[in-house]
Amino acid sequence: MDFVQKKTADSAVEPFLPKAAEKGVSLVWDRYEGSLPQCGFCETGLNCRDCLQGPCISHPFREVNKVGVCGKDKDILGVHSFLRLVIHGTLAYLDQLTDFAEGVKSGQTSPKNKGQADKLIKDIQALLANGGAGVLQELPKPLIDGWKAKGVCPEGVARDLFKVSQKLDGGISSVEDTLLCAFKGALSGCVAQVLQGRLKASVFGDTSPTDVGVNLGVLQQDIPIILLYGHFSPLLKQKIAEAAKGKKMGIMGVCTDPLIPPYSFAPVTNYGSQEIPLMTGAVDLIVAGDQCVNPSLAALAKEWNVEVVRTEVLDGGRDLGGLARKIVEEAEKAFSARRKIAKEIPGIRESARMGFSPKDLDVKKIAEAMKGDKIQGLAILAGCNNVKFTQDHEIVSLAHELLKKDVFCVSEGCASIGLAKYGLLNPRNRESGCGKGVSSLLSSLGKDLPPVIDLGSCENGGVTEFLLAMGKSPKDLPLVACFPEANRTKAVTRAAWTVAIGIPTYFWPYLPVTGSPKTMEALGEFCEKTFGAKLNMVTEKMEPAEKADLLMRDF
Amino acid sequence: MEVIMVDREKCTQCHTCALWCGIEIGSVAKELNQAIHEEPEPVPRVHMEGNNFPLHCRHCEVAPCIDACPNGSMHRDPKTGLVYVNEPTCIACWMCVMVCPFGIIAPSSSQHLAIKCDRCRNMEYPICVEVCPTKALRLQETRKGLSQEDSHYVQYSKGLEDF
Repeated sequence: MDFVQKKTADSAVEPFLPKAAEKGVSLVWDRYEGSLPQCGFCETGLNCRDCLQGPCISHPFREVNKVGVCGKDKDILGVHSFLRLVIHGTLAYLDQLTDFAEGVKSGQTSPKNKGQADKLIKDIQALLANGGAGVLQELPKPLIDGWKAKGVCPEGVARDLFKVSQKLDGGISSVEDTLLCAFKGALSGCVAQVLQGRLKASVFGDTSPTDVGVNLGVLQQDIPIILLYGHFSPLLKQKIAEAAKGKKMGIMGVCTDPLIPPYSFAPVTNYGSQEIPLMTGAVDLIVAGDQCVNPSLAALAKEWNVEVVRTEVLDGGRDLGGLARKIVEEAEKAFSARRKIAKEIPGIRESARMGFSPKDLDVKKIAEAMKGDKIQGLAILAGCNNVKFTQDHEIVSLAHELLKKDVFCVSEGCASIGLAKYGLLNPRNRESGCGKGVSSLLSSLGKDLPPVIDLGSCENGGVTEFLLAMGKSPKDLPLVACFPEANRTKAVTRAAWTVAIGIPTYFWPYLPVTGSPKTMEALGEFCEKTFGAKLNMVTEKMEPAEKADLLMRDF
Repeated sequence: MEVIMVDREKCTQCHTCALWCGIEIGSVAKELNQAIHEEPEPVPRVHMEGNNFPLHCRHCEVAPCIDACPNGSMHRDPKTGLVYVNEPTCIACWMCVMVCPFGIIAPSSSQHLAIKCDRCRNMEYPICVEVCPTKALRLQETRKGLSQEDSHYVQYSKGLEDF
C-alpha cells in the first residue's frame, strides 16, 4: 500500500495532471490513491473466490481461519493465485490469435505469402486441437525433452487449459504439481504468440526496422486523428489504414502493435498514461479493443466528445473493410464537428527505430559476443506500466544502468514504447548511453542501431524468435528477463514461459503469492531444478542500480 | 475521550482492520510481506467475530481489567483516558483476560503479556480507522456526549449483549 509521490517521469504527461484535477477528472493515479490501502489478503494471495461458499481468506494472524471453507491452505491459495493469473494471460494470447486467424481464413485479406499463411492456419488449428507441433519442432531438442519429461510440453488447448484450469476447482494436487500446470498453460501462450507473429509476417510481409514518432507530440491539430487502442485484429488496422489512404488523416496507436507493413501507427503514449491523449482534445475518434484498454476511457471520451468504436463485439463474421470505411468517415465527420474544441498538444516527441526481427540482426554474432567478454550478457525488457511505480521511471532507469554496465538490451511490446519516449530506441543516442562493449557490438551489427533493440509488439513472438535464431540453448547463455513495471496477466504468462525456457526472470511488482512460503520457494528452487531458472520477486524497494546488479548476478 | 465507533451497516467483515492492526501494531517488521511470516504470529488488537462488528477495547469508564490487575500494570492514561498495559510489569496472570466483558484481551503465552488495543495511543490516528475501506470505523469524541446522529452507534454498543 505505497503512496507514489511522483506519478510519471514523462514530461509530456505531467502537465495534464493538475489540469485533470482542476477539471475534476479522475485519472488512473487518483483512482489508485482512492483504493489505498489495497486488500492485504488479495495482495499476498491469501484469498479465494473460486466458489460460492467464500470468499475465503487464510488469516495470517489468527489461530482460526487459516484455511478456506473447502480446505485450501495458504500455500494452495498462493499457487492458485499464480495459476489463475497465468490462465487468464494465456487466454489473452489465444484470443488475439484466433481472431486474426479467423479473419485470414475467411478471406478478408489476400496474404502476401498465401502458402505460408494456409500452413500457419493449419498450425493454429492444431494448437487448438493438439499442441501446434510445428512450432515446437523448431525449439532446441533438450528443451522440448525436458518439458516432455515434466509433462509441461503444450499438448493443445484442451489439455493445457481446460484441464489445467480445473485445478482451481479443487483436487488434492501439491504446490509443485499445480505450478507445473501453470507453466504448461503458459507455454501454450508462448506457442500462440509465436504463431501470431508468423501469421502476421505471412499476411503482411516481413516487418523491417521502421522509424516512428513517439509520444504526445505526434498528435496533429489540423487533420482528423483516429486512435487505435489496445489489441484487436491486425486485419482491421490494415483496412482502416487502407480506407484512409490518400486522405489527410492521422492514424495512431496506444497499447497496440505499431507496425502492420506497410503501415505504421505512431505510438502516442504507453499504458500508464493512456487516458492523456484524450485530454489534448486532438483525438477525433477512438477504435478500442478489450485487451489493455482501461474502461475509464468511456467516461473520458464522453467528457471530450469523442466517439468510441468497439471492436470486440459479438458478431464474429463482420465485414472488416466496411467497418473500416465507416470508421474513417466517422472520423472525418467528428473532426469537422469538433473544430471548436480547444486543442493542446505538448511539443514533446521522440524518434524511435522499432520492429527489428532476427533477420535484421546478426543474432549468432550477439551470441558469440556473449560467450566472450565483450558484453556482460543480454537482458530482455518487457512489461508495460504499473501505477504502483512512477510511470516509466523503473524501466528507463534500469535500462540506462544495464547499458552502462555493458548489458545488451532487447525489448518487446509496451516496454519498447516506454523506452522509446526517452530516446532509448533512437540510433542517435547510441554512443552517449551505452558502455563500450555494447556500443561497439551495436556498431558491428549495423549502421543505425539504437541503444535498445525493439523486437516487436507483444502480439508477436519477436523475443522467442530471437532466442530460436541464436541456435543455442538459452540456459547456456548469460540471459536474464526483467519486467520492471508489469501489470497485465499476459505479463505473468510471459514471465512463466520465459522461466520454462530457462531464462532467469525478475518480476515487479511482486505477484500475489507472497503469502505462501511454499509457492515462493517453488518459484525459486523448484523452478531452478526443473527449468534451470527462477522466477524472482523482490518485496523490498530497490534503486535502479541495485536492480541492475541483481539482474547481472544471474549471468 | 475519543472512542472508535462501528457502523455495522457499513462493515463488510473484510478483516482489513485486523490485518493492518497485526502489521502496524502487532508485528516487529511493520511491513505486510514480512509480518505475515513472522514467528510468533503477530496478534491483532481488534477481533472480527463474524457479526460484522470489529471488537476493540472500549476503554470502559469503569474498567474491570484495571481493578483486577494485581500490580497496576493495567492502567489508564490520565490525559487521554485510554486503558493500556504497561508491558514491562505485566506478569501474565490473565486476571484482566478473565474479567473483560468483551473478551478483548488476548493472553499471549509466548510473549508473557496480556495484549490489548490501546487505540494506537502513540500514533496520530488508530490504524484500523485509517484502513477501513468502507469507513465503518470512525473516531468519536464522547466527552461532550453523543449526538442524535450517533444514536445507531450507541444502539449497537448497547446491543452488544446480542453477541
